[in-house]
Amino acid sequence: MATTVILPADVDSPPAGRTSPEPGGVRKRRRWSRTALIGLLFVLPAGLYIVIFQLVPVLYGLVLSFTKYSPLSRSGPVFTGIENYTDLLSDADFGSALLVTGRYVLQVLPITVILALGLAILVNRPFKGVGLFRSALYVPHIVSLTAVSMVWLWMYSQTGLFNEVLGWFGAPAQSWLLDSDSALNAVSAMRIWKALGSNMVLLLAGLQSIPRDLYEAARVDGAGRWATFRYVTLPGLRPMLVYVIAMDIIYLAQGFAEIYVLTQGGPLGSTTTVNYLIYTEAFQYNSMGSASAMAFVLFALIIGFSLLTIRGVMGRNR
Amino acid sequence: MDVHSLSRRRTARLAARITAVAAVGAIAAALGGCATSDDSGAGGDKTLSVWLPGNNQTEIDLVTNTIVPAFEEETGATVDVTYVDWGDISTKLNAAFAAGTAPDIFGHGPAATADFVANGRILDLDDRVASLSQEDRDDLAAALPGGQVDGAQYLMPLSLQGYLVMYDADAFRAAGLDPDDPPSTWEDLKAAAEKLTQRDASGTITRSGFLTPSQAIARQQSFATFLFGQDGSLVNDEGTEATFDSDEGAAALDFFTSLYTGDDAVSANLGEDYLNAPAAQQPLVQGTAAMTVQAPSMMQQIVDASPGRDLRVMPALSFEGGEPAAFGGAGPGLMINADAPDADLAWSFIQFMLSPDISTEYTQGTGTIPVRASAADSDYAKNSAIITMFLQESSHLHANPNVVGWVQVRDALDKQLERGLNGVADSTSVLKDAADEADKILAANG
Amino acid sequence: MSAAAETRRASALRRMRRGHAPGQGRVGSIIVLMVVTVLVLVPFAWVISLSLTPESEAFGSVSLIPAHPTLENYGTAFSDADLGRALLNSGIVGVVTVVTNCLLAVLAGYAFAMLPFPGNRAVFYTLISTAAIPISVTLIPLFLMARGIPLVGGNDILGHGGSGLLDTLAGVILPYIVMPMNIFLARQFFLSAPLEMGEAARMDGAGELRIFFSVYLPLAKPLIAVVAIFSFTGVWDDFLWPLVVTSSQEVQTVQLALARFLGSGNVQYGPLMAGTVIATLPVLVVFLFNQRSFISGLSDGGVKG
Repeated sequence: MATTVILPADVDSPPAGRTSPEPGGVRKRRRWSRTALIGLLFVLPAGLYIVIFQLVPVLYGLVLSFTKYSPLSRSGPVFTGIENYTDLLSDADFGSALLVTGRYVLQVLPITVILALGLAILVNRPFKGVGLFRSALYVPHIVSLTAVSMVWLWMYSQTGLFNEVLGWFGAPAQSWLLDSDSALNAVSAMRIWKALGSNMVLLLAGLQSIPRDLYEAARVDGAGRWATFRYVTLPGLRPMLVYVIAMDIIYLAQGFAEIYVLTQGGPLGSTTTVNYLIYTEAFQYNSMGSASAMAFVLFALIIGFSLLTIRGVMGRNR
Repeated sequence: MDVHSLSRRRTARLAARITAVAAVGAIAAALGGCATSDDSGAGGDKTLSVWLPGNNQTEIDLVTNTIVPAFEEETGATVDVTYVDWGDISTKLNAAFAAGTAPDIFGHGPAATADFVANGRILDLDDRVASLSQEDRDDLAAALPGGQVDGAQYLMPLSLQGYLVMYDADAFRAAGLDPDDPPSTWEDLKAAAEKLTQRDASGTITRSGFLTPSQAIARQQSFATFLFGQDGSLVNDEGTEATFDSDEGAAALDFFTSLYTGDDAVSANLGEDYLNAPAAQQPLVQGTAAMTVQAPSMMQQIVDASPGRDLRVMPALSFEGGEPAAFGGAGPGLMINADAPDADLAWSFIQFMLSPDISTEYTQGTGTIPVRASAADSDYAKNSAIITMFLQESSHLHANPNVVGWVQVRDALDKQLERGLNGVADSTSVLKDAADEADKILAANG
Repeated sequence: MSAAAETRRASALRRMRRGHAPGQGRVGSIIVLMVVTVLVLVPFAWVISLSLTPESEAFGSVSLIPAHPTLENYGTAFSDADLGRALLNSGIVGVVTVVTNCLLAVLAGYAFAMLPFPGNRAVFYTLISTAAIPISVTLIPLFLMARGIPLVGGNDILGHGGSGLLDTLAGVILPYIVMPMNIFLARQFFLSAPLEMGEAARMDGAGELRIFFSVYLPLAKPLIAVVAIFSFTGVWDDFLWPLVVTSSQEVQTVQLALARFLGSGNVQYGPLMAGTVIATLPVLVVFLFNQRSFISGLSDGGVKG
């Protein structure tokens, strides 16, 4: 088996050998080597920008999470300590929203990733018209969500397309979005539809970065399709898979727009995600403080869950 | 190696592209330069910034081509208008107020008014309204209360909103009912609806006898309709305590629930938003309902989408022995920023918007109910049986209260109503839970 | 070089001999692709269908072919929403965003992967973690910053006195200049790039910027394509930020123009769908153009690009 040629691409740090060829002791002395300085310099423009325009607003939000603040007020935020956070502990709606969000992430994530991987492999072959397939599959990601949600609302309605198709098979009509058992699944289906194309494109780019020699070596070794996939494609795709999974978790856990347009959080709160609550608190109730507190609890969970999942899926990376 | 020369060319191309983009950036900056600023502040030429609660083309044309030029000529001021759907405006206003860039005049729904008042963000317009002629004030009488907070005027409604029952006269006749004598009480309506309801072999409703909105937010409005019809109320006069936790409230919710559940149910698809569905998808058009609660603009679209059908609107209903009541009242309206440098100019713009001709033209463009009673004599009303009916019933339109924290109270009530409607808990207990929550919210904001 | 080409040819020959000729075994996957593609396009097919349907008939039937097709909605979309202007604005915003991200985000991601410095991981995680905070929380501070940018829009050096970048296209671009997720993406991509090429160039005395531009960037065509596509799509799709930061018709973006037809309780389906079709096309073109960078995974050669 051609395992020796496979470079283990690390999840969250370059493999040790990459930093510098010298042994550890020497490395320590050269911490701020010329390349390290240049590396910092390369990071600086983007880094500074993000610190100013993304990190500062986030920290501002963190400060607000310890206050009571309406954007309409003239007096500004009033410090309330950890009250916003302790209030969340006894907030049944928040607890329920956490569960909904968790279920949403857990059921959408594997499906989008696996489906998208299959599609990416299919469109990674050179054949005439492959560009059209790639583009067509990417269409859902670029079509305006609010507009296309009108179509989905209709497809899910009593006299819509889904019930029409059920009717062809003699099955009874379903209340897709009106039933608290099925509403989140219906929202998930639209989300999977919307996210499939972007995951596919990312994984396609990942597939492209796998050195061809590895496939040829595998072939020389007589590896079958599955073995090639298992020992060449999957390890080679690992950095991109990590990215796709992390990105999906981060954005799925902030699921809002698809819920806003399809169910407004109902029925009976079955599609009220944390981010839906955050939006309501922030812009319907003007409670920026408690909205921020919710956001930072969500933030901590997203980061924790992303790290756990990536390590669980990818294995042996500390 | 040729790799190098190739990449050098690529680098050159990249550099060329960057230059091109820098040029584009310069254009963008230039565009930014001529864009308007909300901060007029300084004297000299007067400017007025206005965020109008509308994105309807007729409305925009009217404002851009008629109102603004006429107003600018009359006052010598410059008016910068931005159109924002009132459903989108909260976010925009929150950011603008936080940054001190809010416009001089802005539009919003009445539900938001109390919060602006509580934060001292909008002007009390009582004196200015008082300076209007008696005739004007009478003409606007149906609209003004919806813009008041604690009895003082803060919002000047641009239109009235309302929901009445539209019914299919042919279906009435087919069921042996007289379409010329529609029900006048909710009890009669329920009885008629039972006759109009059709079921398939399995007992599933295929045509609802009657539909009232049961989706989020609108379900609170349906409840309020029944509550008002029972002579009940949502909060006390001081706006400090919830009052829907009453016998009237329980009766209203029980009636609402009975429409959707039980052997004599008359409504299908609890929770579905038919109200905002496209015209051709409306239950009345599809024949999946015989009577539905509707707003005037959609009624008109329904009529347009079903030519040749005999669709009519019935007057507001009451419960046996009560006063007729329907949900409605002031629609989105205009408020004046408390920090507006020239409040008089802002007020004259609002007066201009509410002047009889402009106001009628505005409501005609948006398909809404005119704010002025005198509009009943306009061609708009005369040519529309729907608008005529709404104007005639305007005194029976009742709105939600304008109290601080109402949006939260409404959502709390809405959530509990959903539990009641779905049979999770009985009406008394859900209303009690909702009232407890509402009282807490009102106390925290009080 | 020629040795590599030799190997490639040999392996292609081997493949032929083993019966893996191009084309064989592909029919099945093309059929699968066709089925999935058709399913995926169903909602969009209705968008197109509705764009050709008169307003009063929208969603009236489950038929995909409109009973009375009309192009009127397209005219309305352009005239009522000033879609032409909005397309231009979004185009400018999109192009700038693509360039800044392809340059700055890719450069930073490259450095995180290839030129690590002490503390780089902490810096990296801090930067990308900002993507995990909902926009609801950062919207207002960002708005305050857009207003307070010094020396633009009438502001003094301290950012006071004027409106800064509010109501400008530059203001619309502000949150998108570098998207943290693009840095993450670039880093992941370069993690699997071969180190030897850089080392070789370094020994030849090439500077780091030169190594980035001439050695690794040419390798990164699929990455650049993805960053370009995602940056463009991201800024093209956004609604909330442009809604808040702009006021004038002159600077409205495509999604704001479409919102013109999404009035509360008064949705104009025909023009909305027509506008959606038009708004989708430019992104599709950006995609079609860029997807050519994914030349083909398994058969084509590596670096020559």
